Amino acid sequence: MAFTRKNVWELGGDWADPILWYARGVKAMKARPLSDSTSWRFYGAIHGMDQGLWQQLGYLSANDQMPGDTDVQNYWSQCQHGSWYFLPWHRGYLIAFEAVVRDAVTKLGGPADWALPYWNYFKLNENALPPAFASPNWPDGTGDNPLFVPQRYGPNNDGNVSVPVDQINLSALGDPDFTGSANGGSPGFGGVDTGFSHGGQVHGELETQPHDWVHGLVGGSDPQTNLPGLMSDPDTAGLDPIFWLHHGNIDRLWEVWRQNPPTDADPTDPNWVNGPAAVGDHAFMLPMPGGVNWTYTPGDMSNLSNLNYVYDDVSPPAGAPQAIARLQGLGASPAAARSLVGSIAMAGPKTVELMGANSQSIRLTGTEARTAVALDPAVRQKVAASINSLVGPAPSAPDRIFLNLENVRGLNDATAFRVYVNVPEGEDPARHPECLAGSVALFGVRKATLAGDKHAGDGLTFVLDITHVIDALHLAGTLSADQLHVRLVPVRPVPEAAQISIGRISVFRQSS
Amino acid sequence: MRRISRRPAPWLVALAATSLAAWSVLAVDRGEFTPVVLCSAASAWASVSASLDLALVFDSPARLAADWALMLAAMMSPLVVAPLRHVHERSFARRRARAMLLFLAGYAAAWMSAGACLQVLALATRSMAPAPLCLGLAALAALAWQVSPAKQWCLNRCHRRPPLAAFAAPADRDAFFFGLANGGACAGACWALMLLPLFAGPAHLAAMVAVTLFVCAERLEAAAPLAWRWRGPGKALRIVAAQAAMRLAPRLREAVS
Repeated sequence: MAFTRKNVWELGGDWADPILWYARGVKAMKARPLSDSTSWRFYGAIHGMDQGLWQQLGYLSANDQMPGDTDVQNYWSQCQHGSWYFLPWHRGYLIAFEAVVRDAVTKLGGPADWALPYWNYFKLNENALPPAFASPNWPDGTGDNPLFVPQRYGPNNDGNVSVPVDQINLSALGDPDFTGSANGGSPGFGGVDTGFSHGGQVHGELETQPHDWVHGLVGGSDPQTNLPGLMSDPDTAGLDPIFWLHHGNIDRLWEVWRQNPPTDADPTDPNWVNGPAAVGDHAFMLPMPGGVNWTYTPGDMSNLSNLNYVYDDVSPPAGAPQAIARLQGLGASPAAARSLVGSIAMAGPKTVELMGANSQSIRLTGTEARTAVALDPAVRQKVAASINSLVGPAPSAPDRIFLNLENVRGLNDATAFRVYVNVPEGEDPARHPECLAGSVALFGVRKATLAGDKHAGDGLTFVLDITHVIDALHLAGTLSADQLHVRLVPVRPVPEAAQISIGRISVFRQSS
Repeated sequence: MRRISRRPAPWLVALAATSLAAWSVLAVDRGEFTPVVLCSAASAWASVSASLDLALVFDSPARLAADWALMLAAMMSPLVVAPLRHVHERSFARRRARAMLLFLAGYAAAWMSAGACLQVLALATRSMAPAPLCLGLAALAALAWQVSPAKQWCLNRCHRRPPLAAFAAPADRDAFFFGLANGGACAGACWALMLLPLFAGPAHLAAMVAVTLFVCAERLEAAAPLAWRWRGPGKALRIVAAQAAMRLAPRLREAVS
């Protein structure tokens, strides 16, 4: 039997049958004790678990019986972030969760082909939280709707939850390489090569945007206590029923990206195909209904149809592919642009080198932080030459440029900010979308800052593609400047207690 | 889809060559060479009553330092690959060699200081106790340190990758102090294990090989909470087993069929 995941906004009503059955399944899971491996909280703990935070948020009490040590070691705190395993691990997590919900649904007399809907916040008028999740009541007005959680504060921390469409993008789909590198260049569509990574240091492109950003904006934080909303922190995100619809969309975007073979293809490296067990780490392992243990590998997850799943829509975003549009914008003919993009995708290893950096770490508090990134003249000239070569007698692909926010540390995962480059002095960055380098939500920063729990305490590193900003400077004849002026603009004011710092802001060039 | 190059970077080749050369010297000159004062079968090891003064007559401080540096070059080269890669990637291309040498200078400074302390400790111990007892005490100390939270604290710090200034003197300073911090953490993690070759006498080369393999293997583990527990080469063994099954088994099956 094939299962079809559908757009939650297009099911035919706020409480259409798939949502109603989802709510009933969630209610059944929530009724089970924490020690039951198919309970709601057990499944949340598979993503991440922090006893102190769970107690503060009311999800763990002294009366709870904890699962056995073996279950905790096998299943809990597995979520893969900052890793090329991010997408395949979460695909398996969705499938196992769906199986548990479906089991509950069928026992309640629901459809045997029930499948999880997804929330495509990119679609026009579908960026608001689906209504069934926003109300504390069931459709009949009774007040224990299990899809509602109070710890969901939204972009403005006022409880109004939506994803501002001007703050998300699908740029990640334009990268033909699944695997990236942690060397300052592209982190790849799917993330960097790591071992088992409950919290790697460099997030992949799709993971950074829209994944992290939607987590941070939907979850927000309690304006009174500064405690994170459930979605904002990896250790609580799986407790929010909207988490699963968000990840349904991320999983769908993986499938959208794969529609463009042979370039946009999953890794064939045995270390990816066979998963973390191949590099001496914990295999992916999840509990299924009936006490069955399911072990899987990334290779198992690569082909969705082999898993008997389809999405109702995997069409690519409208418009010309970004890489072709870029080359044409720089003066290449359409034919040359298409030819070069093909050669870029199949090219060998890229050269990555530092182009510039700021001089000292910065703190992000309040409503803005600024710094200047000094550029090395010799490397800047290499970049200019690579762009100029595009319109020369033997066109070659120009460099891509990446802004790195290195060693981002702090204690509040709900922190989210936008990064602008070279906004004219005295002007509002919001009026200069052409200067927007990207958006960063610090999903996972707290654990990455606290040394000793699978982390060395170095924080996270975010990589933003600022090629479009450098291209614009080149076309305007101002790439010869010695500095780039970087402004970090938080979505919500950052309290001092969040202790957000950025160790270094740097710029790297990557040959195509 | 990108093809990943498997060709090692020149700096990795240079590092491997340095390590190999150091191991070669240690192996070839085993009969005469005294890696550290009490490793030699020819000098102080033979004398159960060796005192600190006597040992220093046999082996001048300069000789001891040179021997210790040779040991470091042989044993620690694999451990600096990961932090050196960080320095390489986060520095301007034109400054990479300089930054990496400064990192190594800091790393070596930390380890040479630790080496002086360890050799004085070894000499003092040997002046008071017979060799087999010294080796036993060293093994006990290594075991106690191996299971301690303090060892994990040092290992966690070995995994740190700090931000590095990019330009001029601050870049030099950061590279050197990163090396110093990493070397200090490495010495903190490995000091007790390094006592074993010092007391191993004629078996010092074999002990050095064993300790090198062990410390490289344990460094593959990620950072972890501080706790009393055994730390061993489990992950390294799992990697070897998994990679053998993954890459060699299909070829063997192919060859057989």
